[in-house]
Order: sequence, then C-alpha cells, then structure tokens
Amino acid sequence: MRPIITLTVVGLLSAALLAVVDDLTREPIALAKAEMKRKAIEAIFPFAFDSLKTVKTEETAFYEAYDKDMNMQGVAVESSTNLGYSGRIEILLGVSPEQKIYDYKVVYHLETPGLGDKIDKPKFKEQFRNRTLEDTDWKVKKDGGEIDELTAATISSRAISDAVVRGLEYVKEQYPKPTEE
Amino acid sequence: MTEALNILTRGFVRENPVTKMLLGLCPVLAVTTSAINGLGMGLATTFVLLGSNIVVSLSAKAIPNTVRIPSFILVIATFVTIVDLLIKAYSPELNQALGIFIPLIVVNCMILGRAEAFASRNGLWYSFIDAVGMGLGFTFALLLLSAFREVLGSGTIFNIPIVGEDANTLLVFALPPGAFAGLGLIIAGLNSLEKKRGDK
Amino acid sequence: MTELLLVVVSAIFVNNVVFARFLGICPYLGVSRKLDTAIGMGFAVTFVMTIATAIGYVLHHGVLVPFRIEFMQTVMFILVIASLVQLVEIILKKVSKSLYNSLGIFLPLITTNCAILGVALISIQEEYSFVTSVVFAFFSAMGFILAIVMFAGIREKLEEADVPKPFKNVPIGFISAAILSLAFMGFSGLVK
Repeated sequence: MRPIITLTVVGLLSAALLAVVDDLTREPIALAKAEMKRKAIEAIFPFAFDSLKTVKTEETAFYEAYDKDMNMQGVAVESSTNLGYSGRIEILLGVSPEQKIYDYKVVYHLETPGLGDKIDKPKFKEQFRNRTLEDTDWKVKKDGGEIDELTAATISSRAISDAVVRGLEYVKEQYPKPTEE
Repeated sequence: MTEALNILTRGFVRENPVTKMLLGLCPVLAVTTSAINGLGMGLATTFVLLGSNIVVSLSAKAIPNTVRIPSFILVIATFVTIVDLLIKAYSPELNQALGIFIPLIVVNCMILGRAEAFASRNGLWYSFIDAVGMGLGFTFALLLLSAFREVLGSGTIFNIPIVGEDANTLLVFALPPGAFAGLGLIIAGLNSLEKKRGDK
Repeated sequence: MTELLLVVVSAIFVNNVVFARFLGICPYLGVSRKLDTAIGMGFAVTFVMTIATAIGYVLHHGVLVPFRIEFMQTVMFILVIASLVQLVEIILKKVSKSLYNSLGIFLPLITTNCAILGVALISIQEEYSFVTSVVFAFFSAMGFILAIVMFAGIREKLEEADVPKPFKNVPIGFISAAILSLAFMGFSGLVK
C-alpha cells in the first residue's frame, strides 16, 4: 500500500504546485504572446502606430494600425505558403492603405539555415517595397517574372512570392476599395 | 569544505556530464546553433537539476524503493513544467528557439542520473553543490559547442557579427551534421589536452 | 492518403529522429555497438513509441484540453511512458520468456529515451489527427531503427580501423554520425 500512497501524494503535490504556477503565469504568457505579435507588426511598418485593431476572418487575421486620431495607417495580414523547400512558411505582411507593400516578416519557416533563411534578410525583402498586387509580375526572374531570386534558394524565393501574393489577395478581398482617408 | 569543493569542480571537467559522461546529448546537439540558445538551455537545465536534487535529497528516505524512479521522474517533470511556463511568460524568444526541447529536459538522463546516483544518497548541502557543479558543467559544454558552431556557421557570436555580412561562413556547422562533428572535435580536443597534461 | 505517405517519408528520411531532430541520441550511442542489440532496442522503442503517442493523443484531446490543464502535459506524458514501459516488461515476462530475455534489458532505458516523449509531443504540436499521429510515431521509430542499425554497422568496422588516439571511441563516433547526417540532408526538400 505504501508505494501507491507515496506516488499519489507526490502526484497530488506536483499537480497542486503546477496549478499555482500555471495560474500565476497565465496572464504573463498571454501578454508575452501579444507583445511578440506587436513587435513583429512594429517591425514591418515604417511608422510608429498608436493602436491596433484585430480583425479575424475564416482564412486569416488582419491587424489594422491606427494613429492617434484613429486614421488607419496600414494593415498587417497573416499569410502562408506550403511551397517552401521544407514545407510551410508563415509571414506577416504589412501594406499601406493604398495596398502597397511596406515590408514583411517571416514568422515561421524550416528553410535551410544560411541559404533559404535569407528570405528574412533586408537585402532580399527590400525589393518587395511599394509593389502592389497589380503592378508586378510576381514570378521570380528565373521563371520570367520580376522577383530577384536568392542564389541557391530559388524555391524559397518562389515560396515567399507566393505567400506575399496570397497576403495581398486577402487584403484586396477584405478592403475592396483602397481606403483614402 | 574540500569535499564540497571537490563535488563542485568535478562536474566541470573530470566528470563533465556532456564531454565525459555523454549524458543529455539531445539538447546539446539540437539547440546549440547559437550561443544564446546554448546558454539558455544550460541554465534552464541547471534550474531543474537544482530543484530535483534538493527535493530528492530531502525526501528520498520517505519514498519506498519500488516507486523511487517514478517519483523522481514526477519531481523532475514538475520542475520542468515550471521552467517551461516561466520561459513562455518571460522570454518568448527563447521559448521559440528551444521549442520542444524545454519539455524534453524531463528525459535528460543527466538529471535522473544525479537524483538516483547522488541526491538520494546525500544530504541537502552536498546535493545542492552537486547540482550547481553538474549544471554549470553542462552549461559550459553547451556554451562551448554553441559558440564554436555559431562562429563557424553563422559568423556571429551572441548574435554580434564578427565577419562581414557577405562573408562565406562554414554553413555546415549551423546544420545538423555540424552539431555531431563539432561535438566530436571538441571531445577529441579535450582528450588530447588531458593527455598532454597527464604526460607531464 | 498522399498526406499519410508524406508523413511516412518525412518521418523516416527527411526529418529522421536521430539525424535531423536529434532525438534518442543516448541510446543511439549506447546500444549501437552490436548489430543485434541495436535491432532489439529498435523494436522495443517502436512498440512503446507507437502506443505512447496513441495514448498521448487521447489524453491530450480527451483530458488535458477539455479541462484546461495543458500545463500537466509533460507530467502526464512521462507518466504514461514510464507505466507503459513497466507494463510491457510485465507482459513480456509472462507471455514470452525468450522475447523478454532479448528485449528486457533495454526496457528501463526506454523511459529516458527522449525520442519517445519527443515524438508524442511533436504529433500534438503539429496537430496531427489520431491516425496520422500513430503512423507518424510508428515510422519515426522505423527511422530510429534505420539510424541505429546503420550506425552499428559502421561502428563494427570502426573497431578495426586505425583511429588517431584522441578520436578513439566516442569522437570518431560523432564524426561518423556527422557524415551520416550529411547524407540524410540529401533528403531535405523531398517532402513539401
């Protein structure tokens, strides 16, 4: 009997302790997650915004950035692709109210370090700035388009282009007319 | 006091859990792509080791032999979950980098090994020192390997670039094969150092 | 069906537990000195890994999530694995003495084989369905067997090789593992 009692006591103590710790950390964890998201969004906008409004749809989530007077300064949209060299890539794409690209940030990827992961380097990302869905041929140069592919990482480059296009399409769908405020 | 000092220092080189005892190698290989990750994993593991050694040394007498191992595992799992939650709350970046290897500290054989071989047979004070020594030895090994890999593989140390942005680095060290090769080279290096010292 | 096939190929080759995910390194180095012990360990791992992942799935979706006690995940999973190992030991002892004699010595080692807990946690993290989880676990174990069997073969040859002194035993083992891992990287990009 004694072994069973001991194990039960140890188990109960452990569960009780963890319940307390879980309770104490639940809020900080939620805050940390929100903070991470905010930091990512701050990184893709060239301006400082005052507040964020989250709009969730079935397919994705939009984060509208407003200044002090509640003018919309831009929208960040979650987008992803399965065309990466090692599968899924998730990005956060920032666009202006005119639906021109500000920048994007790769939030998840498994691309080869040192090759495919250059998709998150400014040098590669720069070329996307100010492009819109309509004014660009979104294929990589190798396929006859306008996007400079990374050396030795054409597949990753294609994948990013795909994710960006998808993001732009989400935005177009959600905000049918470019807002002109 | 000399005994305490002896316990404290042996984890560093003579009985280093990684390079000598080959314990807890999975995180050693998996998270050492950058020095920050190596350090974070080392300290997280040290915390769990401290907690488990203390609790085990205090309660070992009350636990019947038949359920000793399961009870120790429970204790370790509890501390691991605490670390996991704390890292999630206060260092989400580290959480993202270490990922699944934080919960996997539970099965780091070094921790169960110390609980079983040392803490359950020694008092609180020695168990505490043992955990500090072994934990720091583990952290030291992780730091060594991760710095080695980060410098060669990415050309940075603690994320600070030490070569130009366009320099070609030895990428392979940032990739899985580099983890195995790096650890092999480090252990071989330590072996030959030790040999030289022994010859004198 | 294609999805399952991709999971299979990925589990064995592309994301091999040992070479790409770094799980189960301790037994990989520990028991791979002899080919037949490596195979024995491999089958014991396969058994525990598959069942532990299945139970883990049920536990996670049936208990942890509904009661909002996800923080107990690590504790619960490791208990499942530990009791499973005990159970296997008892059953084997009763049912087949010969199987027990050949696998028995590996069983206690399996509890601290991080590949088992790792695979169970990954299949939760990847939000696999029940069937996918089980398939993933089984074939991850196959990947593990492939790794330790290959390595055991190399090690038997290494015994006779003339290795520089500081590299003897362990370091040369790691260097060989590095070369194997390099070879396995050739599989990356195979599964999209």
